Formats: sequence, structure tokens, C-alpha cells
Amino acid sequence: MKVKVYVDKGEISKNLDVKSIKEIISKLDLNEEEFIIVKNGELVSSDVEIKDKDELKFLSVTSAG
Amino acid sequence: MCKRCKTKPVIKLPNSGISLCKSCFLKYFERKVRKAIRVYEMFKKGDTIGVALSGGKDSMSLLHILNSIVKPQRKTKLIAILIDEGIKGYRNHTKKIAEKYCKENDIEFHVFSFEKELGYSLDKIVKKFNLIPCSMCGVFRRSLLNKCARKLKVTRLATGHNLDDESQSILMNQFRNNVSMSARLGPVTGVKDDKKFVRRIKPFYFLTEKETMTYAYLNGLASEFNECPYVRGSFRHEVRAMLNKFDGKYPATKYSIIKSFLEVLPLLKKNYKKLAIKSCKSCKEPCSQDICQTCEYVKMLK
Repeated sequence: MKVKVYVDKGEISKNLDVKSIKEIISKLDLNEEEFIIVKNGELVSSDVEIKDKDELKFLSVTSAG
Repeated sequence: MCKRCKTKPVIKLPNSGISLCKSCFLKYFERKVRKAIRVYEMFKKGDTIGVALSGGKDSMSLLHILNSIVKPQRKTKLIAILIDEGIKGYRNHTKKIAEKYCKENDIEFHVFSFEKELGYSLDKIVKKFNLIPCSMCGVFRRSLLNKCARKLKVTRLATGHNLDDESQSILMNQFRNNVSMSARLGPVTGVKDDKKFVRRIKPFYFLTEKETMTYAYLNGLASEFNECPYVRGSFRHEVRAMLNKFDGKYPATKYSIIKSFLEVLPLLKKNYKKLAIKSCKSCKEPCSQDICQTCEYVKMLK
């Protein structure tokens, strides 16, 4: 299936061919500790299922204030 | 599925690997904050708590949860203090968020700036001296926060430091052979009580950065989260990246660092108790040397 992926504010891929969120994390070499995941506007954990044309945003949790 | 109620999960907890839904996560988060406050006696009725507010996710979440805890206690007061370092394109943005929240929630909001209090904004310092300013900024912020909190008659200063921040600080002090600095860490900081030093409390001490971000996101506390433009390239930034990588491979590493540190912290505090809090000969603020680090840096900038 193909999904649209954003990491923070940047669009990484419109058509990433993956089967799960875990696979996206692995393909993009992200550290799960450092992101929260928003699927189609809803916060989700990394083990939820995804389907074709889903939009996934990985928002960085690190900040320095 | 959420381990407790079998609905849609919003997070897999970093330390335990347990998945929780929105409602169960918010309960879990609040319970952990309340427990830290209770176990470490972070404040009592009648205290004036100053929240060191930056407008970022940690301090906004802290103000939000402390407001819900303190509001029913009529005798305890909550105020917000923001230190404006003068970082164009960053602090102005977060300051607006902080100000708006305080106004909407009827919380006293005070701003103190580097420019006014020290004579230099951080942008000016970086431009003039071409340095990575994180250490200097940290010293200035800590000292200004203490001074301004005292002015406002604050009895406890609450900061949004979380488990990630603390585990990084512990390692940074180890790597730099600064063990005496670690004696000043912990859920309630300060080796001893001092009239001039406002003790600091860290209600998020046992919560990870990911959990704090999740809480902030679920409460709509900020739509986007900016990172200070100077943080990249700092020593902390490198330690953070290393620790996160390690924690990804060996879960709960950061938690273990904190837990083992808390075992030795009483010994560290006892060992460094004899180092009395002195008064800086130049500005009279509390410090451990004859001249405080803030005055040393200001001298260097002149």
C-alpha cells in the first residue's frame, strides 16, 4: 500500500510503499523515542494498522526551551 | 489496543511498552505527576509556585497540569515567569503562546529579558562573539529565574524538566567530571535551604519527553513545536541523540539512569552539603564561588 509521510513540517514521500508504521520507521531510519505519530489527524501508537492513501505525520518530541 | 480498556491507543509507553488510549494515558500522566509531587513533597498549601514558562510543550504542559491541581487549593498561588533571551523567530513566537494561555486561564504572567537585566540579548552575544551559547544561556536563565522568582515572592520554582533532560544532565556531568553539579539535580533541587535561593521542583521528573509531548498534543497546548535555533551543535544535543539511540536499542535505559542516580543522590547531597551557598562578591546573588558564573560571563562580554 502507498502512504503519504511527513516528518515534522517536511513532506518525505507521497507514495511510500509500506505495510506498517514500524516499516516506515525502519525505512526512514527514525528513532521511535523521538516522535509522536499522527495518522489522518489522529494521534496513534506505532502498532496501529495502516491502509492505502493514509497520511502519516511524525512530529519530533525534542525541544529546547 | 489500549491495555486497560481495549480501545484505540495513542501511545506505546517508552519504558514499559504498554499501549494506552487517550483517556487512560491522561489518567496515567496525571497520576505520575501527582505521585512525584506527593513523594518528594514538592510544595505545600500556602506556597507561591512560579512556573518557569517558555511557551514550549514541557512548560506549557506543566502550567496546565499544575493549574488543575492548584486551582482547588485556595491558599496555593500559581504564577508564570518567562525569561526572554532575545532569540529572533523563536522566543517571540513561544512568548505569544504563553501569554495567551495565561490570559485565558487567569494566571499572572511576568516577563524578564536578558537585554534589560543583563544588557545583551542572546542574538547579540552570538553575533558579537561567534560562540555556541547554550552553556552561557543556561547560566543566565537559571540566575535570572532565581532572582526574578525571589522578587515575586515565589517559594517554589517549578520547571518542565523531564526524565530525558535529567538523564542527559547526569551523563553530561559524568562526562565532564562535574559530580558536584549532579548534587544539585534531582526532583527537588538545591543542596540546602537558603534565603536567596528559591528551591526548584520538577513534577515531570519521571515522565519522558515523548509522554510530555503526547500530553501537550492531546491538550492542544501548541499546534507546532519549535526548537531553539542554537541547540544544534550543543553538547546536550549530542548526548540526547546518543541516549535516544541507546534507549531505542535497550528500552528504559534513561529510566535506569534516573533510578540509579536517585540511589546515590542522598550521598552526593551529604558530601556537598559542606559547600555552603556563598554570596557573589559582585552581584550578591547565591553562588558556590566568590564570583558567580553570571558575573564572570558578563565580564567576559564587556
